Amino acid sequence: MNTRTRLRLMASSLALGSALAATAASADTTLTFVWHAGTCADALTSIAKDYPDKSVKIVPALVPYGPQWHDKIASEFAIQGDAFDFAMWDSQSTAEFAQHAVKINDIFDKSSYLKADLFPAASLSRYGEYPDGSGEFYGLPANQDAYGLTYRKDLFEDPKEQEAFKAKYGKDLKVPQTYQDAKEIAEFFTRPDQGLYGWAQMGGRDYDFATTASNSFLWSFGGELYNPKTFEVKGYLDSPASVDGVQAYVDMFKYGPPGSTNWGFDEVNTAIQQGQVAMAMQWFYFNGSNIDPKVSKFADKIGFGVLPGAIGRDGKFRRQFSVGGQGMGINKYSKKLPELAKFMEWYFQPEQQKRYAAVCQTGLKAVLDSPDWQNLNSYNHQFSQALEYLNDYWHLPEYPVLLDELQQEVSAAAAGTKTVQQALSDAAEKNERTLERAGYEIKRSEKTPEVPDQEISPVGVDAVVPVE
Amino acid sequence: MTAISHERRQAELRKRSSGRLMIFGFLSPTLAILLFMVAYPIFSLVYYSFFNFSALRQGAMKPMGLKNYKFLLSDPELWERFVFTGKFVFICVALQMLIGIFVGYQLHKNFRGRDLVFTLLMMPMMLSPIVVGFLWRYMLNSEWGIVNFLLHSVGLPKVDWLGQTNAALWAAAAADTWMWTPFIVLLATAAFRGIPETIHEAAEVDGASPAYKFFRITLPMSAPVLFIALILRLIDSFKQYDLFVALTGGGPGSSTETVSFSVAKTAFSYFYTGEASALAVILLVIIIGLSMILVRHLQKMSERY
Repeated sequence: MNTRTRLRLMASSLALGSALAATAASADTTLTFVWHAGTCADALTSIAKDYPDKSVKIVPALVPYGPQWHDKIASEFAIQGDAFDFAMWDSQSTAEFAQHAVKINDIFDKSSYLKADLFPAASLSRYGEYPDGSGEFYGLPANQDAYGLTYRKDLFEDPKEQEAFKAKYGKDLKVPQTYQDAKEIAEFFTRPDQGLYGWAQMGGRDYDFATTASNSFLWSFGGELYNPKTFEVKGYLDSPASVDGVQAYVDMFKYGPPGSTNWGFDEVNTAIQQGQVAMAMQWFYFNGSNIDPKVSKFADKIGFGVLPGAIGRDGKFRRQFSVGGQGMGINKYSKKLPELAKFMEWYFQPEQQKRYAAVCQTGLKAVLDSPDWQNLNSYNHQFSQALEYLNDYWHLPEYPVLLDELQQEVSAAAAGTKTVQQALSDAAEKNERTLERAGYEIKRSEKTPEVPDQEISPVGVDAVVPVE
Repeated sequence: MTAISHERRQAELRKRSSGRLMIFGFLSPTLAILLFMVAYPIFSLVYYSFFNFSALRQGAMKPMGLKNYKFLLSDPELWERFVFTGKFVFICVALQMLIGIFVGYQLHKNFRGRDLVFTLLMMPMMLSPIVVGFLWRYMLNSEWGIVNFLLHSVGLPKVDWLGQTNAALWAAAAADTWMWTPFIVLLATAAFRGIPETIHEAAEVDGASPAYKFFRITLPMSAPVLFIALILRLIDSFKQYDLFVALTGGGPGSSTETVSFSVAKTAFSYFYTGEASALAVILLVIIIGLSMILVRHLQKMSERY
């Protein structure tokens, strides 16, 4: 090898080395997140494109809503993998995923901006706290949601309809405050010959479709899923009040389009957007599309309200319905935690969250408290009120098993293959078996209450409290 | 003499052992892959089936002996899954074989546009089962689905296809049949076209009717291929999972959950890893047993024809 060749080789090595170094310096850090595909995941992706640190890319790994979404996150945690860095998971999944997630308290301690008081205390607790009341958080309220009521304003405000309703039921036609009222209005508007039905709700077997809806009835009638102190399910889930609630839910299918017992949110949305139903029980998440004239024929005729409550068998009024939305949790096996913490500090700034709130529901207090947010669209005002009445499933690591057992039974009751009483008794039996197998000690009470809400976090009041 | 024969024997032994080495050398990569990809997972599956543990919820693995098996086999719901799976397999395979053989018989004849028709018929088989599930879910929607629209347009009542147990079974069978009948058509056509034309010509000379030719010549001579198609469809239908995820979600209630659906749910939703392993072992034993019976039958059939 002569000198010239040697020099050439050295120069080439230097050039290659510099090129590699430069590439390494400008290498992109990708932060991958898992969520179900939809408007809100698209919003996050779009906002993240404006993240000032251009070396960091936010990459979505989206799956359809349903078990696939839960299973994707769970499978990665099971192998302690880092295929994603953060994920949005359901509030009730926090208990199951906590041991694989970064404790957000550590981020609060280290960050100068990201602190617990940026979020409403109830929201932070709802989407991230485990165990309940412990002050330990594993998620941030990235996407809040609640069940709500949508209704056809054109029908409710039509003087002829108002007159006919008053003649038949002896009361004014107005947005229902109780399920008892909702049933009458649904019956009034059920006119199959005109292609119009009174009520739409989810009843499908998939994931949590049927039970998010049926639980809303169950809680409002004073029922409970279990006793969190004694872990009794029998006597609570199949209590007379719980049966009243789920029976009211099943009865509402009489006023829905035929076959709606296996509907998911897609079918409910279609019914709303086609004007096929006078009222529907639907997540606020979807209201953006329901008022979008590009997809909704009745965009300008849809009104929004808070879901009704019910007067239970003890004469008390309760209004409680299922919480929706997701918390943002961090994969503790991720190797990019410093970059992720920085991104979260930026993402939870009011500027970014205002953009997010234009299409979805933020959990940032500064945005929620602002009058601009209330007037941003025609349903934020109702959404802020709905947040007062939320309730949730079991916050236990066995949640997916308990959920599937309840789904199976409620779906059977909706399809009419079991009575509500039988379905809830079978679900209680299965749920207790699951808890016992997981090692919970069930302390059996001598007597279980007829209306479990009277014992567990009571919310019943003596008179109907209307929400405008 | 003795020294020469000894040397010869030595040379022969060297040759034989080097031949064995060579065979082993060629086989070892494949054997290693097989051991790693098949034997190890099966061994792990059987091993885990004797423990109570969850891959997701970290904790000690508790030895359970045969308790997982006892629990599963005494669970009446699992037997319901087997009964449903059996019904589904029977309906699907029967429909697919009947329609597939009929269509295959029509397609083995030469006619103009045959290749185009054949290609179009194969299309459903190229779709993913989950896509087929969603496609049929929309088509069978009780309010907006094309199926009820057509029924309604001829004056028939709308059917709640996916909301009622029996209707949901037939809906799932229809979707599976739509997707997999082309597979039977493909194999049946190939089998029918493989029969020498001279045999048919000889039968014609003897005055055999088309039905006689079909039942006494075409069908028996294609039997081994058709039997392979039957075995493959039996095993595949028995494993059906993704179609149900998209089409019914296992409902209403749990009336359309197949055994494979239960395995997947127990393993990846519940994360009862030990119990899911035991269930998978039970399923494996059934499928292997079924396959062995059928393969033995196939061998006898091949010897006959």
